[in-house]
Amino acid sequence: MTRLPLAACLALIACPAVAGVEEAVEGHILPGFERFASEAADLAGAASSDCTAEGARPAFHEAFDAWMGVSHLGFGPVEEDGRGLAIAFWPDTRGMIPSTLARLVADEDPAAGDSESFAEVSVAGRGLYALEYLIYDEGFAGYEAGSYTCALVTAIATDLARMADDLANEWQETAGPALLTAGEAGNATYLSRAEAEQALYTALQTGLAFTAQQRLGRPLGTFDRPRPRRAEAWRSERSLRNVILSLEALGELAEALTDAPIPRTEEAFEAALEEARSLEDPTFAGVEEPASRLRVEILQQRVEAVSDAVAGEIGAELGVTEGFNATDGD
Amino acid sequence: MPTRRGFLASLAAAATVPQLSWADAGAPAFLAAAREADGSFALFGLTEQGADLFRVSLPDRGHAACAHPHAPEAVAFARRPGTFALVIDCASGSLIRRLEAPEGRHFYGHGAFLADGAILCTAENAYETGEGKIGLWSRDDGYRRMGEIESGGTGPHDMLTLPGDILAVANGGIRTHPDRGREKLNIDTMRPNLAYVSVSGGVEEVVELDPGLHRNSIRHLAEHDGQVGFAMQWQGPLPDPAPLVGLHRRGGAPVLCATDLAEQMAMDGYAGSIAMTADRVAITSPRGGRVHLFGRDGSFRASVRRADVCGVAAQRGRLFATDGLGGLHRIEGDALRPLRLAEARNWDNHVVRI
Repeated sequence: MTRLPLAACLALIACPAVAGVEEAVEGHILPGFERFASEAADLAGAASSDCTAEGARPAFHEAFDAWMGVSHLGFGPVEEDGRGLAIAFWPDTRGMIPSTLARLVADEDPAAGDSESFAEVSVAGRGLYALEYLIYDEGFAGYEAGSYTCALVTAIATDLARMADDLANEWQETAGPALLTAGEAGNATYLSRAEAEQALYTALQTGLAFTAQQRLGRPLGTFDRPRPRRAEAWRSERSLRNVILSLEALGELAEALTDAPIPRTEEAFEAALEEARSLEDPTFAGVEEPASRLRVEILQQRVEAVSDAVAGEIGAELGVTEGFNATDGD
Repeated sequence: MPTRRGFLASLAAAATVPQLSWADAGAPAFLAAAREADGSFALFGLTEQGADLFRVSLPDRGHAACAHPHAPEAVAFARRPGTFALVIDCASGSLIRRLEAPEGRHFYGHGAFLADGAILCTAENAYETGEGKIGLWSRDDGYRRMGEIESGGTGPHDMLTLPGDILAVANGGIRTHPDRGREKLNIDTMRPNLAYVSVSGGVEEVVELDPGLHRNSIRHLAEHDGQVGFAMQWQGPLPDPAPLVGLHRRGGAPVLCATDLAEQMAMDGYAGSIAMTADRVAITSPRGGRVHLFGRDGSFRASVRRADVCGVAAQRGRLFATDGLGGLHRIEGDALRPLRLAEARNWDNHVVRI
């Protein structure tokens, strides 16, 4: 037994189905959303019994970890009702999270006391990133038990758990079966089997690009103007952790997608993960100093190299590319 | 020595030589370009059900085609910053003329016909100064270059012909230079506009949005009953909820159309095509995998999901969409009804109504 991370991921799949769509659904998507639903429910439970920042933090991290296992699966149920942004409103290029939260707190908006009303609150005031603000940002996190902010933390956690539960159910009942019956009569979502593979392949490549361009690219900024405070979830010191967890999840999806050997892809994932795990810079604060900045740039290049390897091996094997029009633009 | 009478008779005979029409190309409802399974590119004429009527090979990936109003002639433009356009006889499949952009100019993706099809107009970049130009070509004279007029802005992309031989031009505002490919050189200072221009009157009206939206590149156009719809592409940081479609009537103020924050951001700041009917305005986002439908008053109606959807066109009061997976769909209410899936093809950016 090797200790390579991808092999470890594969070993966790109890009953490997035929590689491809089936394995991606049964070995990656469904268990990923089950885990997220379970951790989000635990977070809601934890916040209900102790909504202070200290009380909510451990379960917040567990739920965020679970989200990183599925955050790249941005198609299907997560596209309904704005759920994708209601769970993960990042990057927040216009600073809408703090302004929305500040308004909710200043008004003591009664939506926090009612889950149906809270589902109508702006997506910028919901989900993991709004929660992170409340329990980690200096401007919010000092709230008392029994305060409005404390009730808001419980409301966000409860809302998150409800959405996570809905996602797991819908993947189980409709979205998973839709992928598995791609091309069959009556399947209006995937008109051919290739379309299901295309959707999964696009999720894989989009996830890699998001990590390279946003999770790493935003704090890197430019050499003359690095932007460490644009790192993802730096308040909770999750920036690097999210990169690692997302790469692990994407590696699992890559392995599921094809039976063909993908040595370049595996090697590229391992190189990127090795670089990330050896980086002792949890919030990418080092982007401001040339030597430590270089390490983040190297990590970004390693992630981009994964995209190239995936295109050359998995894309070529499946006969798919990323969106013909989505990647063109004019 | 021909007699005067004989000369007149021969003129009359010439006048009655039947002119070819789109019926001679099978009366297509649409033109669309695609990449085929072997990596080659072609332009197709399609029925309203999506069946092929003709196929003409293209040398490379095109951007858009523009159709002559009567004759079965299509002009296929190279992708930006291409310097050639092909005038194609869709009845025979033969090349009528290869148009070369003049020195210092390149084409910018779209074109339109004026004067009942006598003049072809092409969106062009005078790249040393960055001025947008509309090239004029005489069809009756073998598509000879006649001259050019100002586009009214920088980076003209799409254009369409309005009654009275007015051109509506989407000046995207983005300056590029062929030495630097598609690199955008003026994002911080770009100022897109919707301009109305004519050959006789020049730039007749220019519509700009609020300064806060100066990074919203106006790129594609549709028109119905005197109302122009313009589709935009956000050039600022993403995600962003900037509106991606606006409606305008000559002399009036533009109406911007958007929906709720999450659904708006899901378009990924990008509208690829626009079409209008008597009661609907449709924009596509291949990046967001969505069609957004609005009423003609600008109110949001529906979001319809389809991966890589980009082409959209109105034909006989109905909306049709094409996607990069080979699908052609009719938009019915708030759903897509697939008419045909050409699995071996990737339909390119635009589908054009004949």
